[in-house]
Amino acid sequence: MGGAVVLNRLPLPAQLDRTVTTGGLLAGAIVTPPLIALIVLRVLGNISSAQMVWWMLAGVIVAGALGAVTLRNVVHSALALIAAAMGLAGMFLLLASEFLALVQVLVYGGGVAILLMFGLMLTNATEDPVVIDGSQKPFAAGVGLILGVALTAAMLSANWDASISTVVDFRDLGARLYRDFGVPFEVASLVLLVALVGAVAISRRDNDDDNDAEAAS
Amino acid sequence: MPSSAQDLALTLPHYLVVSGMIFGIGIAVALSKRNAIAVLMGIELMLNAVNLAFLAFSRFGSSFGIASEGNPAAPLAGHVFVVFILTVAAAEAAVALAMAVLVYRRRETVDLDRINLMRW
Amino acid sequence: MSDLNFNYALLLPEIILAATGGIVLLSDAFRRELKLGRNMLPWITVAGAVLATLASVAQAGIVEDFAGIVLVDAFTTFFRVLFGLTLAVVVIGSHEYVAKQIRGQGEFYTMLLFATVGASFMAMSTELITAYVGIELLSFSLYVAVSLAKSDPRSGEAGLKYVLLGGLASAILLYGLSLVYGAAGSTDYATIAKNLSEGRDGMHAPLLMGLTMVIAGLGFKASAVPFHMWTPDAYEGAPLPVTAVLSATSKAAAFAVLLRLFGGPFLPAIADWQGTIAFLAVLTMVVGNLIAIQQHNIKRLLAYSSIGQVGFMLMAIVTISDASTSAVLMHLGGYLITNLAVFMGVIAFYNQTGSEEIADMKGLAETNPFLALVIAAGLFSLAGMPLLAGFTTKFILFQAAAYGGYLWLVGVAVVASTVSLYYYLMVIKQIYVIQTDGSLLDPQAHDVVVPRWRLTWTGYLTTATLLVAMVVVGLWVAPLAHAADSAAKALFG
Repeated sequence: MGGAVVLNRLPLPAQLDRTVTTGGLLAGAIVTPPLIALIVLRVLGNISSAQMVWWMLAGVIVAGALGAVTLRNVVHSALALIAAAMGLAGMFLLLASEFLALVQVLVYGGGVAILLMFGLMLTNATEDPVVIDGSQKPFAAGVGLILGVALTAAMLSANWDASISTVVDFRDLGARLYRDFGVPFEVASLVLLVALVGAVAISRRDNDDDNDAEAAS
Repeated sequence: MPSSAQDLALTLPHYLVVSGMIFGIGIAVALSKRNAIAVLMGIELMLNAVNLAFLAFSRFGSSFGIASEGNPAAPLAGHVFVVFILTVAAAEAAVALAMAVLVYRRRETVDLDRINLMRW
Repeated sequence: MSDLNFNYALLLPEIILAATGGIVLLSDAFRRELKLGRNMLPWITVAGAVLATLASVAQAGIVEDFAGIVLVDAFTTFFRVLFGLTLAVVVIGSHEYVAKQIRGQGEFYTMLLFATVGASFMAMSTELITAYVGIELLSFSLYVAVSLAKSDPRSGEAGLKYVLLGGLASAILLYGLSLVYGAAGSTDYATIAKNLSEGRDGMHAPLLMGLTMVIAGLGFKASAVPFHMWTPDAYEGAPLPVTAVLSATSKAAAFAVLLRLFGGPFLPAIADWQGTIAFLAVLTMVVGNLIAIQQHNIKRLLAYSSIGQVGFMLMAIVTISDASTSAVLMHLGGYLITNLAVFMGVIAFYNQTGSEEIADMKGLAETNPFLALVIAAGLFSLAGMPLLAGFTTKFILFQAAAYGGYLWLVGVAVVASTVSLYYYLMVIKQIYVIQTDGSLLDPQAHDVVVPRWRLTWTGYLTTATLLVAMVVVGLWVAPLAHAADSAAKALFG
């Protein structure tokens, strides 16, 4: 393995062990050709800059989503999911909604990522991270494939004629969200309250409540 | 050979195809995994697909009536919907993980095939 | 945009319910400082529910929209009263059960109150975003309430399955809604109806996909076959009062949304969804009633029986018109009264015996004749026996479906209804025919005179009220019919 020897001689930082470096090189080797192809197409004028960015983001999103399906280690597939969510944030930027792109990064990159990691840590995923797919895997793959193809086909067959684009003004969004939709907003705050109170009430141990009752009586 | 500007623009189907694909992948994850948290990840993926579809419709909807004169605020509705979906998605993750932890404490597993005290 | 109507008084019932939820939560947390016993919590809840019901009755004559997102009309009032009374009855009938079997009583009652708020918003929204947020509030409250049983391992499992499948269904519903938004260009019901009736070239495929996914998502919430997988497990694992709410409020709210959507915005596209719902209705009636036969746990039996009832009610969506809407609203009313009577009886039975097996009900006619009468009358009413609420309302529902031109569907329904009589009779046989050996109440007491036992006064109050209501609706249906008629007229203008 000539490559491995070269790797050992390189003055790499200690924490970049061989697995990480090999993985990085492999990922780079896979990603670089399509990237070069995209740039060449852009320079030749076959695609626009927006389309080049779209292809990159679509690649990240689909690769991340596929990673969430195929990776055996559940922590890795959670990371792949976060990658897909970040790609989607980029796509929100392409759709000219900066605010929601920001919220997407905060909610998925921050909240949901940490929640998922906590959940995996508190259940047995750290000891036994390999997740076996259930017996219904062929069925699930079939449903996913059929639904995905049907949706894509329906979307493509429709005559959207949607070349005109609207940019939503951030101020209008605020007014709409907090005034016109003020009541659903309050209801959503009740949903959050339910989630908060519920998460506490559910994960509290049974006997806490009993001790409490005895102390009160 | 350079194409015309019309061909080079990003259009609605671009986004909808991505959205449809990740929705399909998400439902495959949600149905195939046995780990409760992996199922939750599939659901999050599906909700992301929904958000992308809403934003795409909201941006490109003007030519088919979303922003028609009778309903000038409709593009905003898509954005507002996405805000609510993001809120609910985060809350859902919290509740589902609390339940996974509860079940794990009692059964030492979150494997849905082994969570089977009840039978059809 | 200043022409929107922000008259917050229209939302008074929901504000009362939500505020009561806050009060219950805080008075549970600070009960030592406030010198309050935990036994106050159910009565605060009941007071809130009754006040909210009174407030909605006071708004009975109003037809007014709030900011274009919710509409207060006879339809809304019908469901608000239904939900408020259901909450009051469930809490009164089950507070002893809750004190013994639930951890976090304050949280529990708060969840029930918030679930009712969500259900109200589902019934009154005229706009997709509000309807969706209402659906999620109802679902989240019930996810949490399902898993609050003390020391019952089935509860947590049921909660986990329910939240995961519920999330899946929500995602499918949302994708359907996004396609509808794309194809119809709005989230407002009236605008969707207008745009769909104008017809759009080349939008057919996404619209069809969208409608099918909306039906799948809402079918899950209403537990229509094949989206019913969560129902038996959630019903069995949930604490009994939550099962009662799942079978009453949650179902009625799902039907409120179905009626508002398919009777309004989706009506112009009726050709695209009528067949799908007819198919679901047949499947639901047949599967629900057939699987119910082999159940031995009373909660699971009632789960499958309620699935069967959903099948009957879906017939009215297939033949949607103001007559069939009125019929399904009446049947919902009758079904709620009947089902709650059975559940209150089962809760009283569980409080005494700690069992929810059908086999353990043997000889109930000797040990507690009144409870036996309530449960038997409730089951007969569910099966559709004359003189009781279930017969009258089911007859009107079948008649409406037949007039709607779906005679074959009614044929299937009649057969399924006959099958359902079989498994209800199996329970009644346990209660009335088989002698008890007394082993359940006292393991040592073989071959002795089995002592009679009594309900608590709240048990008597709820079961007797519901029994009377069942008979009154069965014999004198006019008031309910009048309310359902005006609600249906409000929906169809």
